[in-house]
Amino acid sequence: MAEQTGVPPAGPPASPPLIEGRGITRLYSMGDSQVAALRGVDFRIFLGENVAIIGPSGSGKSTLLHILGLLDRPSAGQYLFAGVDTDTLDDDRLAVLRNRAIGFIFQSFNLVSGESALENVAAPLVYAGVRRKERIERAEESLARVGLADRMHHDPSQLSGGQRQRVAIARALVTRPAVILADEPTGNLDSRSSADVFSLLQELQAEGLTLVTITHDQRIADRAARVLRVEDGMLVEHDAPAPYLDHAVAPAGAGGVVADEDASPTPEDPGLRTLGLLAEGDAS
Amino acid sequence: MSYVEALRLALRRLRTNPLRTALTTLGVVIGVASLVALIGVGEGTQTAITNQIAGLGTNLLSVNAGGSVVGGIRGAAGSASTLTVDDATAIAALPGVTAVAPEMSVANAVVVDGRTNTTTSMTGTTPAEATVRNYQVQTGTFISDLAVEKGLRVAVLGPTTVASLNRTPEAIVGQTVTINGIPFTVVGVTQPKGGAGFTNPDDAVFAPISAVQSRFTGASTLRTIGVSLTDPAQLAYVESEIQSLLRYRHQLASSASDDFTMVSQDQLLSVASTTTATIRNFLIGIAAIALVVGGIGIANTMLVSVRERVREIGTRKAIGARRRDIGRQFLVEAVIVTLGGAVVGVLLGIVVTGAVGSAVNVPASPTLAGIALAFGSALLVGVVAGYWPARQASRLDPVEALRYE
Ligand SMILES: Nc1ncnc2c1ncn2[C@@H]1O[C@H](COP(=O)(O)OP(=O)(O)OP(=O)(O)O)[C@@H](O)[C@H]1O
Ligand SMILES: [Mg+2]
Repeated sequence: MAEQTGVPPAGPPASPPLIEGRGITRLYSMGDSQVAALRGVDFRIFLGENVAIIGPSGSGKSTLLHILGLLDRPSAGQYLFAGVDTDTLDDDRLAVLRNRAIGFIFQSFNLVSGESALENVAAPLVYAGVRRKERIERAEESLARVGLADRMHHDPSQLSGGQRQRVAIARALVTRPAVILADEPTGNLDSRSSADVFSLLQELQAEGLTLVTITHDQRIADRAARVLRVEDGMLVEHDAPAPYLDHAVAPAGAGGVVADEDASPTPEDPGLRTLGLLAEGDAS
Repeated sequence: MSYVEALRLALRRLRTNPLRTALTTLGVVIGVASLVALIGVGEGTQTAITNQIAGLGTNLLSVNAGGSVVGGIRGAAGSASTLTVDDATAIAALPGVTAVAPEMSVANAVVVDGRTNTTTSMTGTTPAEATVRNYQVQTGTFISDLAVEKGLRVAVLGPTTVASLNRTPEAIVGQTVTINGIPFTVVGVTQPKGGAGFTNPDDAVFAPISAVQSRFTGASTLRTIGVSLTDPAQLAYVESEIQSLLRYRHQLASSASDDFTMVSQDQLLSVASTTTATIRNFLIGIAAIALVVGGIGIANTMLVSVRERVREIGTRKAIGARRRDIGRQFLVEAVIVTLGGAVVGVLLGIVVTGAVGSAVNVPASPTLAGIALAFGSALLVGVVAGYWPARQASRLDPVEALRYE
């Protein structure tokens, strides 16, 4: 499918969108009545894109991102990840995808307290079946990447908010996912830490990672190549995906973060790798 | 995640949160310890009752004056003055009989030692009493053959009687006390048999039968003859021999019923075993309640510790843990906590059993069955209660688990 040359494809994209939603609806039942947090949302996000999701509070941004991250399921509609209808995947396969293909960053960090920064970062590798020695090396590498080489053995409670969020980013990066989903990653941080975390995410994106960020921060939205505006459960502003622009420049193998260390010198399409994972299922 | 990884993770979790680990373990420890102690003390009580009956004498057969119930009318036991010292001597000559102790009794014996006094019962008997009724002397000697022969005014006191006189055994031996106004020299104090029943074997006065007869009763009739057998298997045979002998000696017509009754220790033991069976059932009931209460306690602490961690489960699922990864982590943790708690609980239970036993003076010792029951049920309850809710939480979508407060 993908061209093996690393040269941007000239025609329409050969690989399917990494993320595609068709008529996604999410209902919450509140006693007798039902609240629609999302009402029929369509979108496509391609590998290597930098997307910001904006919109007023309560509009359904987090609900959408949780569905994208396979943390929640739509009530109706179809969500395809790397071309595969996620509705056909069982719990274990979803877990494998969350583990290897997606890195999720929460506003409230969600680190496991009582475990050091290093252990938190290495945790996804445990579930990926990576051996202990390699786990530690990769976690150290990942922490070094976010500038926390000197805080590896600290408990999250001994870290500042900005440091905690950087640990969470290191944890999201450690499995070398295809996409990072961040739900207001700087929402709980002061402006300085926000700037750090923000520029870190932008650097990672520039290195080839697909990045989807929910934000209230206009600067972040301005930096994104594409903005999705959610209002009252609907996508009201929806720039056309830019398959011929952004994403095609950067994808696969462009940065050390995405490239698999065992990969052959030829750049490998993370989309393929992701599809491979689906077939691989519950390896480990 | 392999079990090795799960174990590594579980140990780290338990170590990094010592307070929660301690509290969870404590629930298991208390449940197990109380169950072990309860069963141990219960069994001890039962053993104590059996031992007390055994302590009444070895291979004992008691011949009591007075017939058994005939047509609903019974002569007051012991009032039909039919047993004599000569009867006792004749029984002693029978085959299969080791020792015979004639017993003459004075129901209200007031013992005065200087300014203190106590009321007890006095038994006039022979040295054979020590064998037949299983008494040992802790200080001094028991009644001697010489004392019986000469009718000496010497007395052996029970330890409770000595205590009632505010004396120590060492201090009272050699002293003279008066019994119902008549001076006696204390020559010995018996070993405590331990035990409280209708009659306390440690609250007693023994004196030579000859002295009791001449100073108190005046008659030669006995209340009881204690007979010790060579072999308990010969009980029925010896009983029938004694019956024929006494009927002959008392010149009873063949139509007349016996003017004496015989009670063997076996019979007492069988009555006692009915009693102890009742006690046992009672204890099983209590243990069952303790099991349920302890189980609920353990289940509760495990449930709480899992509920506190639903968010952690959500986080782990979000980063790629599968249901069985979560299940394994919590299963291994639950096994470690309940296993550790159960081991500590058993040890504590053993200590508590000993302490309670000595506090209430019962030879309580933890039983293997009690330990196995407590250990097994704690493990079952703890593991199920630690694993099941985690398994349930692992089935939630990650967002639901993360939303959990
Ligand atoms: N578990 C739930 N049960 C019921 N309603 C819910 C639940 N979660 C979200 N909602 C509702 O769905 C709507 C969208 O919520 P969502 O969290 O997606 O908003 P948001 O755009 O992320 O807002 P914010 O910017 O404040 O984070 C809201 O009206 C909210 O009340
Ligand atoms: Mg939100």
